[in-house]
Amino acid sequence: MVLSTSAEQNQIQSGATNDVIIEAKAVSKHFGSEIAINEVSFQIPPGKIFGFIGPSGSGKTTMIRLLAGIYKPTAGDVSVLGLRPSQFTRQTRERIGYMPQLFVLYPGLTVWENLSFVASIYGMGLQRGARLKQALDFVELGGHKNKLARTLSGGMQRRLGLAATLVNDPELIFLDEPTAGIDPVLRQKFWGHFRELRDKGRTLFVTTQYVGEAAYCDLVGVLVQGRLLVMDTPTGLRHRAFGGEIVDLRTKERLDRSYLEILRGLPFVTGKVTRPDEQGTIVRLIVDEASTAMPALLDWCKEQNVAIESIEEHLPPFDDIFVALVKKEAAHG
Amino acid sequence: MARLFRFIVRPSAFLSKEVAEIVRQPRLVLTLVLGPFLILLFFGVGYRNEARALRALFVVEKESVLAAQIERFATSLGPQLILTGVTTDEASAQERLRKGEVDILVFLPSDPLALIRSNKQVTFTLYHAEIDPFQAGYVAFFGQFYVDEINRRVLTYVANQIKEGAAQVQDELEEARTNAKAMREALERGDTAEARRHQRALSRNVNTVEVAARTSLGLLDGVERVVGPGNKSDVDVVRVRLTRVLEDTDTLAEVEEDVSELSVQAEKVSQIEEDLVLLEKELAELQNVDPLVLVSPFRSEAKAVTAVPLKVSDYFAPSVIVLLLQHLAVTFAALSIVRERSVGTMELFRVSPLSALETLVGKYVSYLIFGGLLAAILTGLLVYTLRVPMAGPWGGYALVILALLFASLGIGFVISLISETDSQAVQYTMLVLITSVFFSGFFLRIETLWQPIRVISWALPATYGNQMLRDIMLRGYAPDTALLTGITAIGAALFLFSLILLQRLMARR
Repeated sequence: MVLSTSAEQNQIQSGATNDVIIEAKAVSKHFGSEIAINEVSFQIPPGKIFGFIGPSGSGKTTMIRLLAGIYKPTAGDVSVLGLRPSQFTRQTRERIGYMPQLFVLYPGLTVWENLSFVASIYGMGLQRGARLKQALDFVELGGHKNKLARTLSGGMQRRLGLAATLVNDPELIFLDEPTAGIDPVLRQKFWGHFRELRDKGRTLFVTTQYVGEAAYCDLVGVLVQGRLLVMDTPTGLRHRAFGGEIVDLRTKERLDRSYLEILRGLPFVTGKVTRPDEQGTIVRLIVDEASTAMPALLDWCKEQNVAIESIEEHLPPFDDIFVALVKKEAAHG
Repeated sequence: MARLFRFIVRPSAFLSKEVAEIVRQPRLVLTLVLGPFLILLFFGVGYRNEARALRALFVVEKESVLAAQIERFATSLGPQLILTGVTTDEASAQERLRKGEVDILVFLPSDPLALIRSNKQVTFTLYHAEIDPFQAGYVAFFGQFYVDEINRRVLTYVANQIKEGAAQVQDELEEARTNAKAMREALERGDTAEARRHQRALSRNVNTVEVAARTSLGLLDGVERVVGPGNKSDVDVVRVRLTRVLEDTDTLAEVEEDVSELSVQAEKVSQIEEDLVLLEKELAELQNVDPLVLVSPFRSEAKAVTAVPLKVSDYFAPSVIVLLLQHLAVTFAALSIVRERSVGTMELFRVSPLSALETLVGKYVSYLIFGGLLAAILTGLLVYTLRVPMAGPWGGYALVILALLFASLGIGFVISLISETDSQAVQYTMLVLITSVFFSGFFLRIETLWQPIRVISWALPATYGNQMLRDIMLRGYAPDTALLTGITAIGAALFLFSLILLQRLMARR
């Protein structure tokens, strides 16, 4: 379910260059003596889901507000849809959707009235009914349109917030922690919706403190204490965190230390060789590329007469990746 | 065209939102309409436009000669004085005053005549326990009224005595005319002895009249001197004539020895006779004046030129509408933006294409429509149910309501934009309400305020509203152009100020 037809999509304009829809150049934001954002630079191509990940208080909301035009940078420059936020026209704003961190609609209005209110402030005409219904169906609230917003559950309120963000069919969507405080099933659904929107050409800038959600993004930026530690694809992040990809070699017998030394010397092994389990039947290797390393490892086992049970790529959870990245950053000072 | 359409659509968001929120609060709407209606209904039914009756306890000394007179005076002063007793026990009287069993204690001197003889005024001292300055003033006024009434009665008694003396003047005048006639006839006959005898009698009569008439003429003279004699003073005419008769009578006593002058003397006596007839007539006219009129020659009678007779509740009805609408508009607007901030929608507005102007226009139009509807229902109820007069034009009335709401909303939005929280906004609106109650002419006339303080009054929309709605509803006038311009100018200034504040709030920070 999407909010626009393919014909409409063709009309979506990108005010930016073809490659970049959002750009930040050494952006800083200070609140008095407190530095919320510290010289952050990045570029985001259109049609992607960009995840801004970081712990609470890391500056994610400040960053999204800088991009949406709520805050003015203390230093540096921001460009969204090819314009500085200070140059946003009404037409630019109509191309942007924004979902704040908290539910900000009117508790005393029904679901439908709330959506209608947002449609009005975006200047949508009287023929808006079909659009509102589409938006509600998209977030599976079609059956609740006459309920007062205050009677909705937290999850339903978040869905209503998302529907309100999408009601004007924006091409660039800022979502500030859209999945915060909702159950895992609904979170999955949200990410499903985001992917649908991405697949139809929309660009999504999503902040989250759930590190695991990085896996759903096309690009991920890791923000810690106002600084952008790294920005990459999820795979790229993994690579950066551990110095390569991870392959687990499970053997029938415990390999002694001499084998480990030989493994460290193999050309495709680029990092540590460790034993992650107590029995010592698994050897974990950091390799340059798992797909090429695994056949070579198989050959090495045959040469060395090592009886193997399995060779597989290990995909560590993003929590571990995040911790590794932060530690690495700390180590680098 | 599309741009204009969107400019209309964006503010309309607030209209439908406000309507939906208000419709979901029927009790609020009912309270806003029925509340003021019931207040005026109960006030109209319950208010009695009568002076308060005071329970008075008279405190006298044991030998006071006034004790016997108190009851007679007290019961004849009307229902505003309730005589609760006469006592010589000052301590118990003070205790009764403290307990609220009586409203005033009246302390009387024991021998007022002795004071008057020693050239001193007699003082009746009134003690009360009022803390309300208006009631304390009423007690003082009541005491003065009471003493004035006693003074008036004394003067009436004196005037009565003078009037009784005036009867003697008429007798003397009649006798003087008889003597004058007899003297003239004696002179015509050449009987000088007889003429001299009647001249002496005439002289005595005229002197007696002069002395007796002087007191009556003195009273009348006093009245004439206060109001002015006009072209000709009656008292002076009588005085001049009386003096001439006296002089002429004296002259006759000297010339009557000369026999050759008898006919001249007879003519003079004839002139005296004519003067005496005129004097009798003029003095009779003056002395016919009632003593009560002499001591209280003036009274006033107030007549209103309003189209309809007014009750006290009628007078307050326009002000109740004004205060309610101002408070309603100020409160709704004051909570409006501050709530958008606390709910978080302001963040949404700042990212959306909605401008500060569109936001403000949307909110103004919503509350103007709501306030206008409320005013229409409330006014309809007051005019058609409580029969509050609507002597002026409905169009002018609607115009004033619109201007009042416009200016009041301005105050509310400024409050909303300078307040950080709901409770702060509510506190400011309460301050505006209390200021309006005291300074807008709701129950205290603005003219009673010190001139520089009236600036506060003229900064309040309610002041303009009160004056114009009273004029329209009760006097039947059209709205005063200067007042209408004033309130609209205040509204426009507040609108611009609110717009600047809202633009700042919605700007990037």
